[in-house]
Amino acid sequence: MRGTNLKIALIVLLTVGFYTLVANVIPQVESEVPRELTLGPGVTPEELVAAGEGVYHGPGGCEVCHGLGTRAPRLLTAEGALGLIGARCGLRVGGQDCKAYLYESLVKPQAYLVAGYEPIMPDMSRQLSPAQIWAVVAFLQAQGGEVTVTTDDLGGALAPGAAAGGAPAAGAAAPLSATMDPIEIMRGLGCFACHVFRGEGGPIGPELMKIGAARNVEYLRESILKPDATIAAGFERFAGLMPKDFGQKMTAAQLDTLVHFLANQR
Amino acid sequence: MLAALAALLLSLPDVALAQVAARDTAGAYGYFPGIGSRAAVWIVAQLHLMFAAFVLGVPIFAMVAEAIGMAGGDKRYDRLAKEFTRLLLVAYSATAIWGALLVFTLSSLYPRFWGYLTQVFSVSMWIYAALFFVESFTLYLYYYGWDIWKEGAAKLWHLGLGVLLNVVGTAVMFIADGWLTYMMTPPASVRPETAPGTVGVWTAIANATWMPINIHRTIANVVFGGSIVAAYAAYRFMAARNEEERQHYDWMGYVGNFIAISALIVLPFAGYWLGREIYAYNEQLGITMMGGFMSWLWIVQAILIGVLFLAANYYLWVGMARIPGAERFRPYTKWMLIILVGGVIVWATPHTMIATREELVAMGGSHHPFLGVFGVMSAKNTAVNLMILTTFLSFLVYRRANSRPVVSWAKTATWVQGAIFATAAAIVVFYGVYGYFVPAIVRIGFSVYQVLAVLATIVSVTVLDIFLVRGAESRGAIRWGEMPERSQYALFILAVTFTWLMGLMGFARSGIRQHWHVFEVMRDTSPWAATPALGYAAQIISVCVLIFLGLVGFVFWLTSLVEKPVPAALGVAPVARVEPRFAPGSTGE
Repeated sequence: MRGTNLKIALIVLLTVGFYTLVANVIPQVESEVPRELTLGPGVTPEELVAAGEGVYHGPGGCEVCHGLGTRAPRLLTAEGALGLIGARCGLRVGGQDCKAYLYESLVKPQAYLVAGYEPIMPDMSRQLSPAQIWAVVAFLQAQGGEVTVTTDDLGGALAPGAAAGGAPAAGAAAPLSATMDPIEIMRGLGCFACHVFRGEGGPIGPELMKIGAARNVEYLRESILKPDATIAAGFERFAGLMPKDFGQKMTAAQLDTLVHFLANQR
Repeated sequence: MLAALAALLLSLPDVALAQVAARDTAGAYGYFPGIGSRAAVWIVAQLHLMFAAFVLGVPIFAMVAEAIGMAGGDKRYDRLAKEFTRLLLVAYSATAIWGALLVFTLSSLYPRFWGYLTQVFSVSMWIYAALFFVESFTLYLYYYGWDIWKEGAAKLWHLGLGVLLNVVGTAVMFIADGWLTYMMTPPASVRPETAPGTVGVWTAIANATWMPINIHRTIANVVFGGSIVAAYAAYRFMAARNEEERQHYDWMGYVGNFIAISALIVLPFAGYWLGREIYAYNEQLGITMMGGFMSWLWIVQAILIGVLFLAANYYLWVGMARIPGAERFRPYTKWMLIILVGGVIVWATPHTMIATREELVAMGGSHHPFLGVFGVMSAKNTAVNLMILTTFLSFLVYRRANSRPVVSWAKTATWVQGAIFATAAAIVVFYGVYGYFVPAIVRIGFSVYQVLAVLATIVSVTVLDIFLVRGAESRGAIRWGEMPERSQYALFILAVTFTWLMGLMGFARSGIRQHWHVFEVMRDTSPWAATPALGYAAQIISVCVLIFLGLVGFVFWLTSLVEKPVPAALGVAPVARVEPRFAPGSTGE
């Protein structure tokens, strides 16, 4: 009986192991979360186009259909004699200029259907923010045409004090709320973007779960205020990534609370 | 030990997968130690689903077996049905426990999302709970009334309880399907700013993929139930203490496998429907599923289903050694094997896959110059349809092995059956080749013609065969129990593969939402929002499969503690009869 059980267990383990192995030897592809796009009032057309290109090839997933030429019209290469999308967009619908046409194509894709194609395009406003949509419009206009998207079009999509490309504008450090909850402080500072703590966060910097066992208050205070002063072993390749302006984002009391909280994580 | 294995397998990848996500999550997510919240919910949900599939699939199996026993007067079917209903009693408890755990983990680890779902679906959740009560007590009546209502009209009443059990169970599943399909394909009228309390519960339930999932799951549950039954029989066969037990469990393994593979053959058609609805709902969602980051998943799926087809056919071919008259079909098995292996190879050929620059250079383009031709849907659809036809032919040959038809038109009918097979194969191949010369949107429609040709063949040939072997002479008794042990391994591989496949397809269905809790309505802003790669998913699936099989083994052992030995009268006596005949009215005696 024991022999039978062992044989069965072996069969089960070998079968499960085989499938696990197969799934692990093929290329490993993750679906990453799209980054937010923040555009400031001073955004230039070039910055818009660059941001739009990122959305087009990234979270927009546009090239999946528009790059093949079978599911949807080609946009980055010429579509017959009409040329690139930036050149032909103003000719599609009478009385509608290029910008209006492209914007409508993104948010009301069934309003005008190019002959020969199925109505399969989704409403992109369900996936992309207004800023991302206008950036894509600018990028498409730049393909053989003139970029006419302006900050007036962006309107409410503009974030005060921010620049193109998702990076906060220099010197525009937003003050943290008056919270004295160390977790909230860390959330507000974005610590979990790079440090793992209680299951949250990314592995860019050292884990904070037991940081107090290895680091004292002075070391932690220096690491927050002058992150490049000492680079933790194993994280040398990420040197320089940690922002250096946390001292201007917190009150002294918040900094003190945070440092002692971390020092007690053992 | 399993928990330790789970922690070992999951802890490292979880750290690696922790993502930088938008941080509007105050209070939206909880924390689960060690493996993270996503893995915790994933494992609990998967195990609940596996047990749910078991307790939904086995009652269908039991009801059909009881009905066959009633119609044919064969007590073996009745005993089989009762034996499996007894397993359900414990399995129901396990299902409910995992279900409760799922609610607890969701409400504590994903409280904001869970709150959203309860606001949309609260009414249906109460109905769900009420139906679960009805289902549970119907099951108790069904099982405990077995020996009381066993004759005449009372037996009919008892069978009615079995029908009721399945109807209520299916209704419970349909309600839960509404919740999960809403997450994938919410109605177009629901926007991110829509207050959840204003979404009509029926509007939310009757979404684009609800009915395709309902049908797909119902069929898959039968497959799953049948395969678990077959694995149970295999274990009992290998551990049999006497000849009667060997005969009984050999027969039971055959019946379980027969049901599993019969349902499996039609499952891809339900899958096609589901796929089409996903594409129709949102083309991008469909492309993410089939051609995006999940494209490699279908290669793994092809390998798994290839194993299923090969193992199921192997079991039938080995089983034919115990059927007098089957030797005349033996020369054909090698050709069937060639078709099956060729089909698996084509089906598992990658095409539009993510490749490194070096790989692209080595291939000379985005597709392999030779294999790329076989990686497209035209070739794959052709391969899988030919595999289905071949497997159906295996069943037909097995069924006909020991019978000698006596009707005057037998020869003509056999030729007609052959012609139907040949026509179906020709249609499948024709549209497979033609698909290379038409646009994608036209090519997708060709799969419907291929599927219809195969379905029509299965139906027409089966109907013809039922009449053909009616009253047929026997070429000798089936020697139940005379099966080599290696054939039973095939049944275990089938059960493990079905279970693993269920986990894989669950990942596909859930994963195509990517970083959305509710697609394009409610974003996942947790640290686990990124959809993991297949390697990590496979580790989770394997952990779930091992835990599930371990618990099912425990359930089997528990029920065996109160079991009586198989009475000789219910063993499978080697009498001269045409066996096996599963379809009512086709006993061929």
